[in-house]
Formats: sequence, structure tokens, C-alpha cells
Amino acid sequence: MRNPRTGWLLLSPTLIILIVFGFLPFLYVLFVGFHEWNIFAAQDGMRYNGLDNFRRLVFDVDFLNSVGLTAKFALFAIASEVVLGFFLAQMLTRNFPGKSLFRIIHTFPLMVAPIAVGAIWRLLVIPGFGPVPFLLDRWFDIEYLIGTYPDQALLTSVIMDVWHWTPFVTLTMLAGLSSIPKEPVEQAKVDGANRFQVFWYVTLPFLRPVLLTTIFIRIMDAIRTVDEVWMLAGGGPGTRFTGIYIWRVVFPRTDYGYGSSISIITLYLTIVLCWLLFIGISGQGKDEVE
Amino acid sequence: MRIGLRQRIARYLTTYGFWVFMTLLTLIPIWWMFAVSMRSRVELFARPNLAISRIFLENYSNVLGDSSFQRYMSNSLLISSANAVLVMVLALLATYALSRYKLVGKDNIFFWLITNRMAPPAAFLLPLFLMFTRSFRIGDWTLFDTQLGLILLYCVFNLPFAIWLLKGVIDGIPIELDDAAMIDGAGLFGVLRHVIVPLAAPGLAVTAILSWIFAWNEYLFAANLTSVQARTITTALAEFVTVTGTNWGELAAMSMLTLIPSAVIVVFAQRYIVMGLTFGAVKE
Amino acid sequence: MKRIFTIVLLIAFALLANMSLVTADMHDWWADAAAPYAGATIRGVSESTPPSNYVADVLAAQFTELTGINVEFETTSWDQMYSKAINDMEANTGIYDFVYIEQDIIYSYLAQDYLVNLTQFAADNPDLAYEGYDESEFTSFADYFKNADGDLFGVPMEAFVKVYLYRKDLFENADIMAAFEEAYGYPLAPAESFDQYRDNAEFFTGYGESMDMDLWGTTVQGSTGHPASTYEFLESIGPSFGLYNWGINLDAGSAMSANGGALDGDTAVEALTFWLSMLEFAPPEATSSTWDEVASTFAAGRAAQGWVYGENAAWIATDESRSAVTGNVGVRLPVTADGVIDAAEMGDGYIGYYDGGAFGVPHSSRNKEATLLWLQFIGQQSVQAEWAAAGARITHTATFDDPLIAEQDAKVDGYYTLLEEQGPLFAGAPPFPFHAQVREVIDPFIQRAILGELSPSEALSQAAAAVDEELDRLGYGM
Repeated sequence: MRNPRTGWLLLSPTLIILIVFGFLPFLYVLFVGFHEWNIFAAQDGMRYNGLDNFRRLVFDVDFLNSVGLTAKFALFAIASEVVLGFFLAQMLTRNFPGKSLFRIIHTFPLMVAPIAVGAIWRLLVIPGFGPVPFLLDRWFDIEYLIGTYPDQALLTSVIMDVWHWTPFVTLTMLAGLSSIPKEPVEQAKVDGANRFQVFWYVTLPFLRPVLLTTIFIRIMDAIRTVDEVWMLAGGGPGTRFTGIYIWRVVFPRTDYGYGSSISIITLYLTIVLCWLLFIGISGQGKDEVE
Repeated sequence: MRIGLRQRIARYLTTYGFWVFMTLLTLIPIWWMFAVSMRSRVELFARPNLAISRIFLENYSNVLGDSSFQRYMSNSLLISSANAVLVMVLALLATYALSRYKLVGKDNIFFWLITNRMAPPAAFLLPLFLMFTRSFRIGDWTLFDTQLGLILLYCVFNLPFAIWLLKGVIDGIPIELDDAAMIDGAGLFGVLRHVIVPLAAPGLAVTAILSWIFAWNEYLFAANLTSVQARTITTALAEFVTVTGTNWGELAAMSMLTLIPSAVIVVFAQRYIVMGLTFGAVKE
Repeated sequence: MKRIFTIVLLIAFALLANMSLVTADMHDWWADAAAPYAGATIRGVSESTPPSNYVADVLAAQFTELTGINVEFETTSWDQMYSKAINDMEANTGIYDFVYIEQDIIYSYLAQDYLVNLTQFAADNPDLAYEGYDESEFTSFADYFKNADGDLFGVPMEAFVKVYLYRKDLFENADIMAAFEEAYGYPLAPAESFDQYRDNAEFFTGYGESMDMDLWGTTVQGSTGHPASTYEFLESIGPSFGLYNWGINLDAGSAMSANGGALDGDTAVEALTFWLSMLEFAPPEATSSTWDEVASTFAAGRAAQGWVYGENAAWIATDESRSAVTGNVGVRLPVTADGVIDAAEMGDGYIGYYDGGAFGVPHSSRNKEATLLWLQFIGQQSVQAEWAAAGARITHTATFDDPLIAEQDAKVDGYYTLLEEQGPLFAGAPPFPFHAQVREVIDPFIQRAILGELSPSEALSQAAAAVDEELDRLGYGM
């Protein structure tokens, strides 16, 4: 009836594009990752060095720090986005005049290019220029210097990310919430469930696929974050995330071999993390949906 | 249930209070960008002040009067729009295949498709550069510095997202509808056109819109794989940062201008965005 | 940047000025020489700075009119400029016909044989050699772009030194002078020693605080997220204490004192300690400041003195649309430790950074002939003065005597005279073929020292060890 050949045919343009522009470059990076190759080295060309690059990165404090920072950044940012986004979506399920206006305004940050987002936030937080350190100092006597305090730089990048991406989460949550059938909720209320119980036992299970998918997409993007943070703080202490670290190794340092091996490992870590989530979605999620 | 007038007013007040507060939080950074765009360079380093003291349009006139700005803008519009359409069409076909056909290892294929969005971009710039300048070369023509190059490349991070989004939507359309149409004599494209597309319209729209936004906002690939002809507006933003001082006023003015096209699109497409973003959540 | 009105005016001015200069003869020469290449398009990559913009907007238009060769400029950010040029030259793709070469990267490019020998190329193609262009007319800065045989690989297009700027209105204010003398027991003056620099910095920081002014005692280019901080330390502060060539001994392939290097030596520690102690007297943005913010900070009147790149000195002193301290800028040689100036005069060292850049032709270019014409056009004597006035850069000896520059010189407190007379005391970056690689290795240690996570001696000894490791890896080690 449905000939698999037709299916492959439909899938083929996508596969071709992703193989050419995604998989082949990946193979190249993988290949380079097993070589020592810096174009400004005394010796020319690539030299195969087996697993040396991978051995090196295990002891590379800067790389390990960057992974830790990226994890912190992703965790804080995504957790805040999900909680805040869910709450906002909940508020948007109510009806009140002017709702769509608020919703539209709330999606504005999503439309600002990351590089411009970084620029705006830099302008907000650079002392002597931005209003944030000025007002914090005047009102609360807080010394706010992202160049001096790594924690503040990390916090600023988290807040920036939350500002930029919460609207995305709100929209997906809103979509999820609006597709939850009304009967189970009403039924639970009739049975005397309180608000929290309704949320925990009814809303959340229905919302789980949307929730996990949203988190999944945000994780992929948060780990790749470069533009915003590069504009904001240049990837100094506190914001030297893996994406930026790789960029510094690959470009100014032109250490292509090592940079490639770090990329491979980072990609691998991301895939493992997402695979666990994927099992969460398609394994448990499926039973309840179907 | 009847609610007293006073209660209702209180409720509205809290609702509006909350939303006005959220709106302020959302808009302050954008407002600040606008305020910066309204200042001359010498005014920028005065004591920080969120208020705008005068209308100063020189930053805007400088940006708008620059012929390369117009080229960047039209490149960005062309690349994002073409990419959005391409992604929408390819994702529809691919997702339909994944959803309706028994394909060997399709779960793995689906997962692999998605991993394409995970790659940290920096290390991939070199192979892509080599590919763009060497592999895709016909005579003097190369894929480097062409709009086509970016349109195809942006599929790498947009297709995984789009397929995922549409997977839920198309899985949610009962297969019986397909079968019924087929019994009525519809071919594959008939089914797609008369059954799938109408039912998946909100999902398709949101796929296109979000792809458009992601493509519009992309910087790193555009900066490295174009030179003069196909440069996009985001690469122009980075040009303002120079060793002799960053021109924050013009950078902010240009950022404000780049906001306009996406704002227009999103405002018009609000309804679809929410309807489309269900990711396979349960339908009523 | 793209200030169109200014540019339109400049174009009009330059065209008028040139009409009188360009005789019919010259016209013919350019047209004849370029005849085989008319209609070709040559492309270059550069940053969007005033000197580059002048080239892109004014000189390119004149050149196209004379020759029919189109010049296309890709303007981009500082780091993008390098990555793109290097990718192009390494992969031999031929995207760029001329690239911007900053002085510090030239040795890397030469070591990789990326660039065309311009002297040789002109000699091999006598038809293309323009008589109005003469390599000997360049200042000594051009020597950085020559090989051992004296052949030129890049046509200098900008050159600056990093100088000491101070606020004349503050340093010459009677009340302030009296207050300073009372507090320190000697008269207030632009700093000539590090102790005096420190006293000035401390005094003005206190003064700003007591007057509730946004004023601090010094600038520090101390960004913790940008190589600019490493550059200020290694290229300006270090040499002024007597730490040369980043403390790296090229022959020994090491930065460690034990092996003949100096990066972890006493001089380096002293220099870093002093520089870090200045953070206390610098405005709060210092730890986020690259060269860009340092100039802006000084222009906003937030610092009483500081180390500022000369390319910014001119606009800080004269451009009222960008600077709040026009007319009040004093220019001096940077502060040095005892004996450093003497050593520099003897040729045994240098007191600071002589920076700048040139345009070179990559081997991968497919329009070398047309590009050679173009580079000779921008390298000729007759276009220099207006270019210098527009971009605050001087690459030709004769330009110093031009009336346009003499006029500017008065406005910037003799910066150009300083560049002409004391320029030789400064030096470009050390001749390392691994410039960016090693700097990238040193960066994190300097940044952590700024944050106070490492003491100066810890930071420097760890940096020296890391440098040695990288040198080994690159094949330049012992």
C-alpha cells in the first residue's frame, strides 16, 4: 500500500541537504580531530596524532571550566525560562481585553538578533555608560562590574538569555496548555483536588511532551550560544562558555586539530544529554499519548 | 458562578498590573537601544539616563543613507524568506515520510536529523568554507558569497527544528483521513494538498515563521561564508565595533531597523504561532 | 564611520585638491598601464576605521576613475578580518586581492609565505611600476614589512604610537595644582616616572570623588574578555619597564627565566604589579575596556591621564562630535623606568608600541597586476596629506612637513612631531611567526591576574610555562 520507496523519495531532499552541509563537515571535523594541525606551526600540514588531542582535553582546565560554566548557564537559564514561561502562559490562558497586545509585546525579544541582544545588554551593564550599574550603585549600593566579578558576568548572561528566550518558552507552553482537554481538569476539581494537585496530576502529564521538547531545543541552543555572550562580555571569566572557547581555539589560535576534537566531544556530550531526554519523550511520553 | 463587581475590578487590576510590569521588563532593553540610537557619540558617555532628551536622527539617516545597508537588508530578506519556504516544504515532505511510511531505522534517522542542530558552529566553519569555495565551484562561480549558499546552509539548523515541530502535528492527523482521500482516488500529492496541508496549516505557518526568525538572526555563518555580495544585516552590526571606537549609536539604530521586518511578521502571525507550536501534544 | 556628509565633503575636497595635482601625463600613464585590466574588480578586506574608510570611499573612487579598475571593500570586525583573510590565503581560494596586515601579524604571514614580494613583482613588471611611487619615501615603519633583503611585502597604510595622554585643563588648573602640591610636596605635572604616575592617578581619583565628578586618575585597558589587556601589558607597560619581546627568547624558544626568557622574571612581575595597582585608580569600566573603551573613556573626560593608542589621539583632541575634551588633550611620551629611554636610544630596546598596518597582496590573488597598480596608487606621495588629515595616520616622511599636518599637529599637542622625532624609540611587535597563538595562551593568565585570582608572579610564571608548552607544540620550542 504505502511503498517505502516513496517515503525515501520524500525524505531524500532533506537527507541530501543535511548530509552535504551537516554530515560531511562533521566527518571533516572528526578527521581533523585526530590530527595535530596548526597552520602557523613550524611544521606544515596535518600530522596524525591518534588520541593525543582527546587526552589533552581531559587535562585542559580551561576546557573543563568552560563545560562547567556552560552547564551552569544552561541550567539556570533554562530552568528560569521554563518556570517563568509556564507561569506567563498560564496567565495568558485567561481572557481579558488587550491580551493579544501583551502577548505580541512579550514576543519582541525573540525577534532581536542575538548579536544585537548582546550589544543591548552590553550597553545596559557597562559601567560609566549603562544604567544598570549606575542605578544599582545609587539605590542599593551594589558594585556591579561584569569585567571584575565573574559571577556577575555569568548572572548577566543568564538574565540576558532569559530575557531573549522566555517568549519562546511561553509560546510553546501556551500551545501546550491550550491543547489540554478541559474534562479531566474539571473532573479533578469536582473530585476536590486543589490547584497544586490539578497541576501536578492532570496538567503536567498532558504538558510533558511539549515541556520536554521545549527544554530539548533550549538545551541545544544554549550549549551553542556564542554571538550574544561574545558581544556582551567577550567570553571573559564567568562567560567563557564552551562555544566561545572552541571559537578561540579554532580561530585566533588556529589550533584546528585540538579545536575539532573539542567540538566532537562537545557534540557527543550534547547528544548524550539529549538522547536521555529523547528517551524521556518517546518512551514514557508515547504510552500516555497514544 | 457570579463574581461581584468589586472582585472583578480587583482581578483586572492584578492582571493588568502584572502585564504592565512584564511589558516594562520586556521593553526596557529595547527602549534603551532606542534611546542610544537617539544620541550622538559625545552624549553617550554622559551619566546614564533612560530618558530621551531630544530627537536626534543622524544615526538613522547615516544607516539608511548607506547603500550597503540596503543591500544587506535585501539580502537578509531574500535569504530568510527563501530559507523559510524551503524549510517548510522539505520538512513537510520529510515529516510526512517519517510519519506515514514504514522506513527502516526511522527513529534513528529522526534522531540523527535532530543532532544536526547540536553541533558547536565554530569548528564547522573551516570545512564549510572549503566546501563553499572548492567543492561547489563551476568555472569562476563558487557557493561562497552567494545567497544560495546561506539559504541551503541554514537548512542545517532549521530543518531539524522544523521536522520536530511538524512531527507532532502530522502524527496528530488521523491516518484514516489519508486513506479516505486515497480511496477517493487522490494521489500522494493530492493527499498532501487536500488533507495534510489544510489541517497542518498552523504548524506549517509557525515552522516558516520561526525558521525565518532563526535565519534572519544568524551571524556566525553569514560572517564567514560571505564577503561583499551576499552579506546579511547581522554581519553589518558587528562592523560597528572597531579599534577606533564602537559606534554604538549607529549600531543601535541599525538594530532597531532590523527589528521592524520580524516584528511585522510576528504581529501578523501571532495566531498561527500558538496554534502551531503543539509539538504533538494531545489534541482535543 | 559612514558619516556620509563628511565623506561627501571629503570626496569633493579630495577631488578638487587632486585636479590640480594630477597632470595630463599622469592620467595617461595610469590609463595606459591599467588598459589590460580595465573593468576588472579587485577586492580587499579591512576594518571600518577612519583610514580604511578614506581608502574605500575616496581613494578607490579616484583610482577607478583613472584606471577603470573597480575596487571593492569588505568591511568587517577586527577578529573576522583575520579569520577571513587567513582562511582565504591558507586555502588559496583567491577571494581577496589585497588584505590588511597589522604590523604584529606580518611575521606569521611571511613565515607561511602568504604574500607577494611587491618590490620583486614591480621589478619583474616594469610596465606596471609607477614613477610617482617610491618605497624609500616611507617612514621607517615600512621596514617592518620588509624581508632580510629589504624587499617590501606590504604598502603601509596607517601607523601610530601608543602615547601618554593627559588632561591639560586639569593639570594646568591653579587650584588643582595647589592642592596636589600641598598633598604630595612637589608640583603637579604630566608623569615622567612611575611613582609620579601613581601619585597623579591617586590624586585625581580622590579629587573626582571629593568633587562628585566622574573622574578617575588613569585609564587601564584591562578587559577580562578580550586580548586587549594582554596587549597593553606586553606591548606598552612591559617595555616601559624594560620587558622586551613579551619576555620570550626566540633563540632559546622559551619564556622562562631559567632558559633565557623573561616573562616570569622580576622586571615582568614589577611591571604587572604596577599596572594592576593602577586598576584601583581607574574608572569602573576598566575591566571591560578594550582599546575602544579606553579611548571613549578618555574622550568622555572620565580619566585624567592614561595610555591611549595614537590613532585615537587625533579625534579625542579635535572631534567635537565624539569627544568632550577637545582642546584639552596633552600628549607626551609614555612613562618609562630609569634607563629604558637611554637603552632605546642606543637601540637596545624600546619604550612602547609602534602600531599600524599595511595592505599586501596574497599569492592566491588572481589580479596581482591590477592590485599592484592600486597599492602604488595609495602608496604614492601625493595622496598622503589629505589621507593623513582624514585618518590621523602618517606613513611617509614628507607628510610630516605638509601644512595640513602642521595645522593638525598644533591641535593635538604635537602628536605628529612626537611620532616623527621619537617614533624610532617605539617598536612594533616582536618578530614572532606565532603571534596570535602565543598571545592567546597568555591571555587567560593576565585576565586572572586582573581579577585577583592569581598574584602577578603566579600569573606570569604559569603564563611562561604555558607559552613554553605552546612553543613546543608549534615546533618553535627548544
